[in-house]
Amino acid sequence: MTQKEIENLRNTIKTASLKVISENIARMKKTSPNRPEIMQYFDEMANLFGQREKEIKELQDQGKKVIGYLCMFAPVELILAADAIPVRVGSGWYDPAKQGDKIVPVEVCPIVRSTIGTKMIGLSPFLEMSDVIINPPTCDGMTKLGEILSDQKSIWTLSAPRIKDDPQSLIFWKEEIKAMKKKIEGLTGVKITAKRLRAAIELRQKASLAFRRLQDVRKISPVIMGRDAMLVSQTITWDDTQRWTEKTMMLCDELERRVKQEEWACSPSNPRVMITGTPMFWPDNWKIPHLVEEAKPQGLIAADELCSGDRILYDPVGVDEWTGSDMLSAVAEKYLMASTCPCFTSADGNEDRINWLLDRIKEFKIDGVIYYTVRGCMLYAMEYARVKRILDKMNVPIYYLDTEYTREDVGQIKTRIEAFMEMLDTRVQLSRGTQP
Amino acid sequence: MLAGLLIITIWIRDETRKISYLRTFVQVASLIGIFYLFSLTLWLSVVLIVIFAATIFLGRFFCGWICPFGLYMDFISQVRKTLRIGYWALPEWLNKNLHRLRYIIFVVILLPPILLFFLDPLYQQKWASALFLIGSFTPLTILLGPLEPLIVPWGETLGFSGLSLSYPYVRQVIVYSSGIFVSINVFLLIALTVASSFLVRRFWCRFCPTGISIGIVNHLPHFKWAPIMHLNKVEEKCTKCGICKRVCPLQVTEVYDQKGGDIATSMCMLCLRCAEMCPYEGCLKANFNGKTFFKSRNWLKK
Amino acid sequence: MITAGIDMGTQSVKVVILKDNKVLAQSSVFSGFDPAAAATEAFNKALEKAELTKSDLQYFIATGAGADMAPFHNSTISMMGADAKAATFLFPTARTIVDVGAEEARAVKCDENGVMQSFVVNERCAAGAGTFIETMARALEVEVEEMGPLALKAETASPINATCVIFGESDVVTLIHRQESKPEIARAIYDAMAERITSMVQRLGVTPDVVLIGGVAKDVGLVASLKRKLGIELLIPENPEFAGALGAALIAARKAGGASK
Repeated sequence: MTQKEIENLRNTIKTASLKVISENIARMKKTSPNRPEIMQYFDEMANLFGQREKEIKELQDQGKKVIGYLCMFAPVELILAADAIPVRVGSGWYDPAKQGDKIVPVEVCPIVRSTIGTKMIGLSPFLEMSDVIINPPTCDGMTKLGEILSDQKSIWTLSAPRIKDDPQSLIFWKEEIKAMKKKIEGLTGVKITAKRLRAAIELRQKASLAFRRLQDVRKISPVIMGRDAMLVSQTITWDDTQRWTEKTMMLCDELERRVKQEEWACSPSNPRVMITGTPMFWPDNWKIPHLVEEAKPQGLIAADELCSGDRILYDPVGVDEWTGSDMLSAVAEKYLMASTCPCFTSADGNEDRINWLLDRIKEFKIDGVIYYTVRGCMLYAMEYARVKRILDKMNVPIYYLDTEYTREDVGQIKTRIEAFMEMLDTRVQLSRGTQP
Repeated sequence: MLAGLLIITIWIRDETRKISYLRTFVQVASLIGIFYLFSLTLWLSVVLIVIFAATIFLGRFFCGWICPFGLYMDFISQVRKTLRIGYWALPEWLNKNLHRLRYIIFVVILLPPILLFFLDPLYQQKWASALFLIGSFTPLTILLGPLEPLIVPWGETLGFSGLSLSYPYVRQVIVYSSGIFVSINVFLLIALTVASSFLVRRFWCRFCPTGISIGIVNHLPHFKWAPIMHLNKVEEKCTKCGICKRVCPLQVTEVYDQKGGDIATSMCMLCLRCAEMCPYEGCLKANFNGKTFFKSRNWLKK
Repeated sequence: MITAGIDMGTQSVKVVILKDNKVLAQSSVFSGFDPAAAATEAFNKALEKAELTKSDLQYFIATGAGADMAPFHNSTISMMGADAKAATFLFPTARTIVDVGAEEARAVKCDENGVMQSFVVNERCAAGAGTFIETMARALEVEVEEMGPLALKAETASPINATCVIFGESDVVTLIHRQESKPEIARAIYDAMAERITSMVQRLGVTPDVVLIGGVAKDVGLVASLKRKLGIELLIPENPEFAGALGAALIAARKAGGASK
């Protein structure tokens, strides 16, 4: 493709994307007319081509480094400690996937294809601005994605072992983290001292606290629609951590007030749904959350087990003694051992994820689970059987839904989600003794 | 100092330190308590039997909250932390083998004197005191703690009189030896206990015979319930994040390895550091006879 | 209590008018390009047959792929929900329902009250739905209605390996050129369909009794192949294509506070 063609494509898709972003927000506002005012901040941040892009550009011009990452294994605390800007660069745009089809087969994970396409046309401001990209090769797609991107961007590979609770795995991972620390120091020219690392860890711990508050509120009552909460969670992957924490705390203050006043965002008798599966990136891949919360009968996404949502900030870094070596151990362990990604396996089959799901179902009073995967994801798809078995035993309905980075299947998925919501609603009503 | 500690415990904001400070408070209180308690003469053997019996019920609670020796080791650790020096975590295989050493040490301390007592009447008096069938704690030597072996043997020379060795193993070792062996043994003791706990947290505790009573008793069919004070984990809430395993001063791995339920281990001294640091609410609990008196919470709310 | 259910299917719109658990009238009209108009037509036809006017109806529920496009409906219900209701009404022992429509096939599990427990839909494959038969009939140059009886004549089936309707067609052409007999080819086509439907149902788990509905349930060839592949007897109602609309009407009756369960 010529430069001109690329530019045209980029502008077309960017304009379309801006439209999608504002449409998404309009839809979210429509469902929840009394949305808290502070959500305005998150709506602005949701514009990936807006304020944040400018901010990062300015910081970069001042000499700060931008370190992109493709997966939640990247040690963000180390990036922050080196005074660099961490930003997640996995693509959430549907249209670039078609560009990616030119390079890799169509069976490949749509997120990977879309990221390739996004790089080809230079769509993502964060991807373009990254000085380097950390790529953990957690699955086949990610492994080769790094290679393909390495033609145009500097890629740092961060290997995670496939079994996480063996002592040798931890040793390996710690070495990887140490090596990554050196690389970050080399790039930024900033030495990650114990003091800096402590500040970064405490900053992220505060963010975790804000997130936990949000979760605690969602446990009790439907004061915030799932889509809004998911947007808030995901925003931290590109936003400034300190500011995000402040705004989220303000949001939680408002939500806690609403809990007391019983100002619900939707009826408490709505079925409470949990989505689990492959990441759902803003802005285009909001398909399913929209359908769930706009369905008749309406569902509420009370929680999710997505690395683009609740999993980002759930596990804090637990530091025992604030010495350099202990902090580094704590950071390393948090990213490896607390993760529930299906890229891991164990004798009992990634029981960590199942435990997480079961705990959530109890704590958040989940009525049904949507198991969502992008087509081509072997890891998540193959784990479904075990998850289903356990959830069947617990008599929690679970529905498997796989989809592509395309808008064409919205009609089909709509009927299925509506049927599932109908089923959940009937069950909920029956269990409460009300007539469905 | 006690008052100071109490104030710190109540006012401290840092959620991840509250229990630790409380424990230090209790430890210091216990030290002072023991000091005054043992100014009444008390037979050492009685003390030992009481501790061993209590351990069957309370687990190694004594070790974590009362033992003055533990307090000294914790103090040395605190010095290390203040100097910003990292600890040395023993490799797991070494730690596990040290656990087994406990039984051997127990036998070595108690068995020879009993045998020799019956075999060699000439040394009856000496052995008797070595066996502490008679003999008491001296308050001063409790306070001296780990430095005891340094001072007591030369107490007479230095002008301290009336000192007698209180710590059992110390007594054994010093009394058996003579001449150069006294110094070697003293050196060994100090090295083993005081010096090494600088780098390895609670080093002595890993092979201290206290706690083997649980280990032994658990093998008996009717005593599976022992101890009634222990840790408990809720399986679903555990994310296997490994924080509990990392922060444990004794490197007890059962709290991490076991999926859920009561944590069965004869090593845990119930310092509750793991429960204090576990970031998932209600996951790790400390139970007394089934009732939870402390459970992990969201310590982010500092 | 008079209610109506309207099934806005992809190929045709079906209307059922129900009074006190008895079907008063039903009618079906091809959707064509204007499903809403077809719906109105079907609706009026049904009203005529039942000798009623629109104001006689108390509640009106739409279902099917185009449910939202149905003119004048009180609410919508999913096809799965409608299927479950209709099946248990027609056969109280029904627990698994297989609904093969023109473009989509689905299987639903329900309890004795017709409440949907779980469902599965055939994904991205039209070879498990009615259109497959039409395409294949074209390739064989027979009328769609003749396909079923034709297949029943065959003792065995020619091998068709198609994973896709498009390739299936070229497979069939090859077989014709090889001068395999038409009955054998027809049977193979039904077997291929039955294979897909069976694997879909087995994902859900088969609990007897199994009910087959949808327009394609009238096709004797498919029924025979499906019985063979599933290895279980199938209960088929008299007018299987109206089951969806019937279910919607039943639910309408209950929603309006009617007597039916």
